[in-house]
Amino acid sequence: MSDRGEKARTSGRDRPHGNRIGVYICHCGGNISDYVDVERVLEAVKDEPGVAVAKTAMFTCSDATQQEMAEDIREHGLDGLVVASCSPKLHQFTFREVARRAGLNPYQYSQVNIREQCSWAHTDDRAGATDKAIRLVRGGIARTRSSLPLTPLVVDTVPRVLVVGAGVAGLRAALGLAQVGLEVVVVEREAEVGGWVAGLGELYPHGRHGGGLVAGLLDQVRAQPGITLLTGAELVEKSGAFGNFQVEIRQGASRTVRADVGAVIVATGFETYDPPAGEFGRGRPGVVTLPEFQRFLEAGTGALVYEGRPVRSIVYVYCVGSRQGPKAGGGNLYCSRYCCGAAGHLSNRVADRDPAVRQYHLYRDIRTYGNLEAIFTESRNRGSVYIRFDESEPPVVSGDAGAGEPRLKVRVRDLLTAGEELDIRADLVVLVTGMVPRPNEELVRTLKLPVGKDGLFSEIHPKLRPVETVVDGVLICGACQGPKNSSESVASALAAAAQGAAVLKKGYAELDPLVAVVDPERCDDCGQCYPACPFEAIERVPHQGREVASVRRAVCKGCGACVPVCPAAAIDLLGYTDEQIRAMIDGLLKETA
Amino acid sequence: MSYDVLVVGGGIGGMESALKLADMGYRVLLAEKESSVGGKMILLSKVFPTLDCASCISTPKMAATVHHPRIRVATSSEVREVRRTENGRFRVRLHRRPTFVDQAACTGCRQCEMSCTVAVPDEFNAGLVSRRAAYIAFPQAVPKKAVIERQGSSPCAYACPAGIRSHGYVALVRAGRYEEAFRLVLESTPLVGTLGRACLAPCETECTRGRLEGPLPIRRLKRFIADTHYAAHPVPAPNGEAAAGAESLEGIAGDARCDPSRADRPGPLCPAPPSGKRVAVVGAGPAGLTAAWHLALRGHAVKVFEAHGEPGGMPRRAIPPYRLPKDVVARDIANLTALGVEIACGARVTDLETLRSEGFDAVLLATGTSVAARLNVEGSALPGVSTALELLAGVNDGSPPDLREKTVVVVGGGNVAIDAARSALRLGARDVRLVCLEARAEMPAHAWEVDEALAEGVRLHDSWGVRRILGEDRVTGVELRRCTAVFDETGRFSPAYDERTTERLAADQVIVAIGLVPETDHLAGTLRLNPNRTVAVDPGTLETSLPYVFAAGDVVSGPSTIPAACGQGRRAAWMIDRQLRGESLDPEVVDDRLPPVDKDAVLGRQKRYRRLEPLPEGKRLISPPRGFGELEPPLTADEAWRGAGRCLDCGVCSECHQCVRVCPAKAVTMDARGSEDEFEVGAVVVATGFTLFPADLKPQYGYGRFPNVITGMEMDRLLAPTRPYNSVLRPGDGKVPERIAYILCTGSRDRTVGNPLCSRFCCMYSIKQNQLIMGALPLADVTVYGMDIRAFSKGYDEFYEQARVMGASFVKGRVARVTETDNGNLVLHYEDVDRGGVLAKAEHDLVVLAVGVAPNPAARALFPAGELAVDDAAFVLEADEDLDPGRTSIEGVFVAGAASGAKDIPDSILHAGAAAIQAAAYVERVRGAT
Repeated sequence: MSDRGEKARTSGRDRPHGNRIGVYICHCGGNISDYVDVERVLEAVKDEPGVAVAKTAMFTCSDATQQEMAEDIREHGLDGLVVASCSPKLHQFTFREVARRAGLNPYQYSQVNIREQCSWAHTDDRAGATDKAIRLVRGGIARTRSSLPLTPLVVDTVPRVLVVGAGVAGLRAALGLAQVGLEVVVVEREAEVGGWVAGLGELYPHGRHGGGLVAGLLDQVRAQPGITLLTGAELVEKSGAFGNFQVEIRQGASRTVRADVGAVIVATGFETYDPPAGEFGRGRPGVVTLPEFQRFLEAGTGALVYEGRPVRSIVYVYCVGSRQGPKAGGGNLYCSRYCCGAAGHLSNRVADRDPAVRQYHLYRDIRTYGNLEAIFTESRNRGSVYIRFDESEPPVVSGDAGAGEPRLKVRVRDLLTAGEELDIRADLVVLVTGMVPRPNEELVRTLKLPVGKDGLFSEIHPKLRPVETVVDGVLICGACQGPKNSSESVASALAAAAQGAAVLKKGYAELDPLVAVVDPERCDDCGQCYPACPFEAIERVPHQGREVASVRRAVCKGCGACVPVCPAAAIDLLGYTDEQIRAMIDGLLKETA
Repeated sequence: MSYDVLVVGGGIGGMESALKLADMGYRVLLAEKESSVGGKMILLSKVFPTLDCASCISTPKMAATVHHPRIRVATSSEVREVRRTENGRFRVRLHRRPTFVDQAACTGCRQCEMSCTVAVPDEFNAGLVSRRAAYIAFPQAVPKKAVIERQGSSPCAYACPAGIRSHGYVALVRAGRYEEAFRLVLESTPLVGTLGRACLAPCETECTRGRLEGPLPIRRLKRFIADTHYAAHPVPAPNGEAAAGAESLEGIAGDARCDPSRADRPGPLCPAPPSGKRVAVVGAGPAGLTAAWHLALRGHAVKVFEAHGEPGGMPRRAIPPYRLPKDVVARDIANLTALGVEIACGARVTDLETLRSEGFDAVLLATGTSVAARLNVEGSALPGVSTALELLAGVNDGSPPDLREKTVVVVGGGNVAIDAARSALRLGARDVRLVCLEARAEMPAHAWEVDEALAEGVRLHDSWGVRRILGEDRVTGVELRRCTAVFDETGRFSPAYDERTTERLAADQVIVAIGLVPETDHLAGTLRLNPNRTVAVDPGTLETSLPYVFAAGDVVSGPSTIPAACGQGRRAAWMIDRQLRGESLDPEVVDDRLPPVDKDAVLGRQKRYRRLEPLPEGKRLISPPRGFGELEPPLTADEAWRGAGRCLDCGVCSECHQCVRVCPAKAVTMDARGSEDEFEVGAVVVATGFTLFPADLKPQYGYGRFPNVITGMEMDRLLAPTRPYNSVLRPGDGKVPERIAYILCTGSRDRTVGNPLCSRFCCMYSIKQNQLIMGALPLADVTVYGMDIRAFSKGYDEFYEQARVMGASFVKGRVARVTETDNGNLVLHYEDVDRGGVLAKAEHDLVVLAVGVAPNPAARALFPAGELAVDDAAFVLEADEDLDPGRTSIEGVFVAGAASGAKDIPDSILHAGAAAIQAAAYVERVRGAT
């Protein structure tokens, strides 16, 4: 890493004397010039200190004007560029590239937004809009006068990924990464790999065998060079920054494995909801959870016999441990997504074994989304009865009848038959239990994983960055992030693998140079900046025999939160230094008339 | 060219796959059929469950995709075929649709859009409002470049032999831009007023609206344009019409056609700098005048030689003034002379080689068919026998024969015969008979011309031939014989007669109108002639057997039509110009018309058709007619606007060329054509997405019949930040809705429409819209009718609960049908499950159909037939959904997003990531193996 050297070079550099700034004011084909007197803006700013070239253009973004700017930069030896046009969101990238192509440091470019902020906002006030544009452009010029050439921090990245969790998601992510040439270390807490799916029999919707699926995947993982699989192992320590993490893994009681990795993928899966005794009759013989029911079904063949009693009637109670809003007593608010399909699938397997078994499904909404709908349809076609209850009036499970009778009774008000109250006799009551987060306090602490209100790991954004966390380089996938079925977990695992490969395959990462820097001469280590940083980017380093604060550039996001808290004004944000901000304010305040 | 991976489709799935692959270091070709990336997501208002603005999330991804150094985005491009090769790679044929805008030069300024004269439904706004034919797909389009939608030539323009952009001037008249319309016609010919009256208007014959209530008055609109311009400019401006027209265009930046930097391709309205070349045009008829016009505009010095006393050819000599006033012809010709074209009348050219020696660099022969054929029967030389051409020329020169109280027999069945007969009536003839070989239905004259002649008192003797003309020293009558067939079985003109059936008609004057022939005998030694005495030319280039002599018009084709002669004149000018500039003569380049659009397709796309009756003809016919005053009344401005307003904009782009003129970047390229490229790629990601269920397939819900029944996508547009009405209004009457109903599962979980599956996202987008509506219209009630609410993914159920807390009602029950009340409200008939399954009715003022997904057949079409396996619902089949989600039946081909089945945005994005890394693994594997 070239962290320290970079900082010294930029912060220690003298301000260039006698700026040569090019200013370009855009008509935007009338979008701006209809409401802003572009020529008057030009008149007002062309003699600002440091301005060497000032022009207007019909479209500054057009190829022709871009070329003209590039020529001006070379011909006049410009050391700053200001374009007054639209939002930087639209064209900051464009004009930074123009600067770069012409040999000017892209960070010596400032975009001034006189379209969204002037012409579009003040269509009723041409003079006012023009005035505002002049002030904004002067501010931009002032900022550019004291801009410094900055270079992105380039950090080498380690082409190796740590995958935490060797369920189907973790294994598939590992395989995907190794197939594109990255090394992978997989850490599994349990002695066996494969997670939940390894213990499953027939999976819906196609009837493939879960155990066989995992075995096949494991064969591929073992045959793939570059994957190290550590079972009975836990991640205990992580240090370093994105691209260069050092991790420590404890395997068994004694062995410690250390590795350098560029990124971490967390695929720790889920736990199923375990209802406390009394919830829907939990604790009574014959009241089972969905996983228990599944194991029961997979353990036998032929007609169903539970604890020595033939099973003639099954009641499924849905949304146990899920969707527990205020009316349902509180708890997990979320829908567990997989259970409707899973329960429907199992009821079809029951029908395979013994079509005479009466099956009652007590539900709130059946959520067999997409092509899982076929499971629901099949279940109904094969005689399952669906009974809808209101969340405020959940079914009541009670027991025991005499010998030979079904021993459980479920009372429910059926909304589908005008609120009729039904008493259903059942040999088995299956509580269709949802997914809950796994207890992972240790891992959360080690990786600083963000945990949501629901206890699930949080991605940055479900659409923009669905597998990334706020910790750079730490990715999440599978059911630890939110309930998913097996194939959905695998899809998200591969998406995480893709994200990992996207950042590590290049071998280096460029980090935005707009970060905070601490002047060690001014810093008296008062300690106020450390807690101000939301990214823990500030560390204490020795400096000439004392300790001072220092910003780790690879971690800093340039948010600026540390700058105002420093009583010694020792912290500056590159690109937005105090000097630049003050100059901008002066520019904005200068009278325009 | 080769790429590591081809991604087909630039929606959210395709962009995500492309970005991940490119970040990994692979070179990606992304093909998108629309003009912007963004897919369906960019159409949305906000997205669940975070209620982020869809644009705000999409546009950074769109920009990142387009700007990525390792992604090449090909917009307006369709992948025609992907074929796997033996080495495990793929050959890709990519068709680039012409956008008619140079995408590199376009700055996205929208000047073209604002000048465009055509409005069509805006797909981006689900058809709720209109967009122009020249347009940028939507405000956040990436790349932000204009395209012009041209589905083909409009039938009217395609039919015009003169090459006039009829659709263009109709559209300009509709827009009230008469001066621009006039200039557009001038781009083809200076004879605007002449054609506006005397053209037989094949455009109207071809007009698609003719299949409905009747064609547009396209010809009369042209007359309206000419009359309007000529009334304002009785004489042309000194520098020609170009300058006169330019006055009205002040303030529009830069006329591209007058740009000196494009002097290599001067436009027809801005004379190019003098070329120093001289061209002689022989004959001042439509062909010669049109050619002279184009040559002069191209900077050549042109002199026209006309044998007769006045220029104008047949329109001047042979068309009677009640159809075409002579001052109109003269004013048309003044367009040319104002440009400096010299016209020498009474100058009969007999020797082409002399012209050459007089310093003309090229010669155009356009002398037409100036000689009338004579009857070859007994008595045809008698005094009192004359030709129609003599009669009409006399009328037009002010020296008509005296026919007062005479009995006149006109021989011939064409338009000239009709003109002669009607002129004879106007000259005071007592009785005018028209004798023709053809039965009435076969007559070459237009049926309406015949009708008008009869209405004016001409008496028709059809299926008669002249056996002889009677009389001693002067005509007294004609003897007719029954004509039994005009053509033989091969279709050749070969009349057969029944000699036993005869009739005699008395006549003081016999006027023969049986055809015209060219006068070319004197050229026989100089030029190669055809057996019928027309000049032999190369049909494409119009070159004669003499290298510097071209020929055009009727002297080449035999008697034809005015627009056909104009068209030939234009072609000849183009060729002569190229020859003078030393360029090759390529017959293809003159005519840059696109193939015509399919009229059935045009009619098929009219969703809400309004019956608009054609304008009345307005001619007042009396018998006998009086005088030679013009019969057809002019259109008023209101009539012109109403007439033009019936245009169906068949080709979409009207070719009015306004965008060409206003584009400051000179980026409009109307002559662009599609191209096809071939690439080799290492792997393929299919991200063609889905289509929405067509709501009209569920007729009981009334979509398409009841204006206030809309789809979820339409509601999303009504709610979007870029919404069309800046408010939620119901389309039927613009009222703010107060009781809004959602019908879930429209087209999903429904065997009756063939889709038993759930579409996964409709519950959620409905709930999202509920929340947005409650924000936008705080007083509105929202009720959702459905079976189950499928809020299954992370944060979704909480989102659903939030909507309930905000006040949305959810009714469990399927809606059986929707009926409409008189005030446009809608009554839902449904089973209310929560109230014991009673059959209930509820009135709402807006119904939103939560339509689901349907497969996009484009995915399968990418590959040779049957190669890409699909599932029962016709989505792309995933070979191993459990371990390799996104892998298809073809090795090396992956599917991303909803092309493999309904998915919401987060699931599509994850799926796209999965497809990306597997495509990368495949590329690595193949690379390692070779």
